[in-house]
Amino acid sequence: MNAVLSFFRKLGPEMLQRTYEHTFLVFFAMAIAVAIALPLGVYLARTRWRRVVSAVLGAAGVIQTVPSLALISFIVLLFALVALPTIGTLPALVALVLYALLPILRNTYTGIRQVDPAVIEVATGMGMKSHQILLSVELPLSLPVIMAGIRISTVWTIGIATLCGLIGAGGLGDLILKGLRSIRMDYLVAGTVPAALLAVTADWLLGRLERWLTPEGIRESHNSTEEGE
Amino acid sequence: MIIFDHVSKTYPGGVEAVRDLSLEVVEGETLVLLGTSGSGKTTTMKMVNRLIEPTSGHILVADTDIMEQDPIGLRRRIGYAIQHIGLFPHMTIAENIAVVPKLLQRSRAQVAERVDGLLTMVGLEPDEFRERYPVQLSGGQRQRIGVARALAADPPIVLMDEPFGALDPITREELQNEFLALESEIRKTIIFVTHDVFEAAKMGDRIALLDAGQLQQLATPADLVENPANEFVDQFLGQHRFQLSLLTRRVRSVMPAAEVRSEKPETGARLHATDTLVEALDAFKKTGAAVLPVHDRTGYLGDLTRRHLLAAITEVLGEAGGAP
Repeated sequence: MNAVLSFFRKLGPEMLQRTYEHTFLVFFAMAIAVAIALPLGVYLARTRWRRVVSAVLGAAGVIQTVPSLALISFIVLLFALVALPTIGTLPALVALVLYALLPILRNTYTGIRQVDPAVIEVATGMGMKSHQILLSVELPLSLPVIMAGIRISTVWTIGIATLCGLIGAGGLGDLILKGLRSIRMDYLVAGTVPAALLAVTADWLLGRLERWLTPEGIRESHNSTEEGE
Repeated sequence: MIIFDHVSKTYPGGVEAVRDLSLEVVEGETLVLLGTSGSGKTTTMKMVNRLIEPTSGHILVADTDIMEQDPIGLRRRIGYAIQHIGLFPHMTIAENIAVVPKLLQRSRAQVAERVDGLLTMVGLEPDEFRERYPVQLSGGQRQRIGVARALAADPPIVLMDEPFGALDPITREELQNEFLALESEIRKTIIFVTHDVFEAAKMGDRIALLDAGQLQQLATPADLVENPANEFVDQFLGQHRFQLSLLTRRVRSVMPAAEVRSEKPETGARLHATDTLVEALDAFKKTGAAVLPVHDRTGYLGDLTRRHLLAAITEVLGEAGGAP
């Protein structure tokens, strides 16, 4: 009991501070990633230029395959070349955004593409304009898939953000690195446990949001396909 | 109302879906486009609201070439109902029906009233169904909603692509009968696509039989059955000829020369001159009567005996060339 108390007395404030930084970093990275990937995914799903689609999805796929540590190092290198700050929040944010793009992009694209063409044709036949079809048919019907992409992306980003401690962006990675360098169990626990909790909580919250946003009429069928898989 | 003037549609890749089609859909009639898959019937229908655009020729809706009309406005003036998938799964029944009225920016109160009216019209209790989703409905109920939605903005023209397909035979017949009753009240110009000859004979004022993108014959159901224009039509009707004759021939056509009774019964079972032979046969079976009075719109016409009806049916059987 005493050990726990002294642990919190010693590391509690820093834990809170780092968790806050971590959440802040992930939140902004996700906000930017969604702001880029969602409209881009919609565009890709609706464009006739098949080549643009494969080029963009291909590029996002390549970024994803680069190991996260390598990507962060690469950003730092790039920033050094163009004389931008190489430590702190900015390079970390850029790396996280790049990493978060693909799941959102791909799910938005597939989500919209999997909407039954017959439904789109009916909507057209009834006299809906293109943007009306997007807003009141395609997006609502693909929302569960898009939200799943955002969820996966967020959980990954929470994990990868721990590496950003390496370039001085703060966050829970800081505590983990301290613990690793000095082989201090308390620091490791103070860094890893909140990081894991953060990921689990985000996953749960976004899962709830996904369910809440899914139109009632497709909830049942959506669940049954999930079970069927 | 709708005029096809030498209309052709060739898809990229060279498939000729519709070849030099000319026909006119008269105001208030139900024209059935009948044919097998690949006959061009659906393509023909979809050209009317510009879901597919003709390669050559002209289509006139309300005396104006559709290519000179705004496609969005054109589509909102034409009702559109298709097979089972047609409803938007994420919208409630009320929202589904309200799509076009909302697009036309009708007031909220007006839309709500219209939705309830239409639900009642297609035989579904508004309070019970308004807030449900398509997944919570049976196939037959969904088709009813599809029909209601097509009529929502009260369009003069309605396009229906196998609206009663994918239903069990009993529900299907129920819906066909309901729609016929409904249709006689609302008098729309309807283009109805089907591959089912019996449905065509039942629903159509006229049938346009298509094959490989070409019009084979355009005639009333009875005329199509009695006077096939060519070998294709003859073969298409094929073994169904006998049943089709019974379904398309009316009581009036087999009525014996005036056999007027002096005292006519005011009540009880009666036949109508426009009943089909099948309906007449059913009536005899149900009532067990040997003689039934026949009426038309003006009043009592005469009597038809069961014996006479059976003789007429036997005659049809002979014409159809053997057993059904």
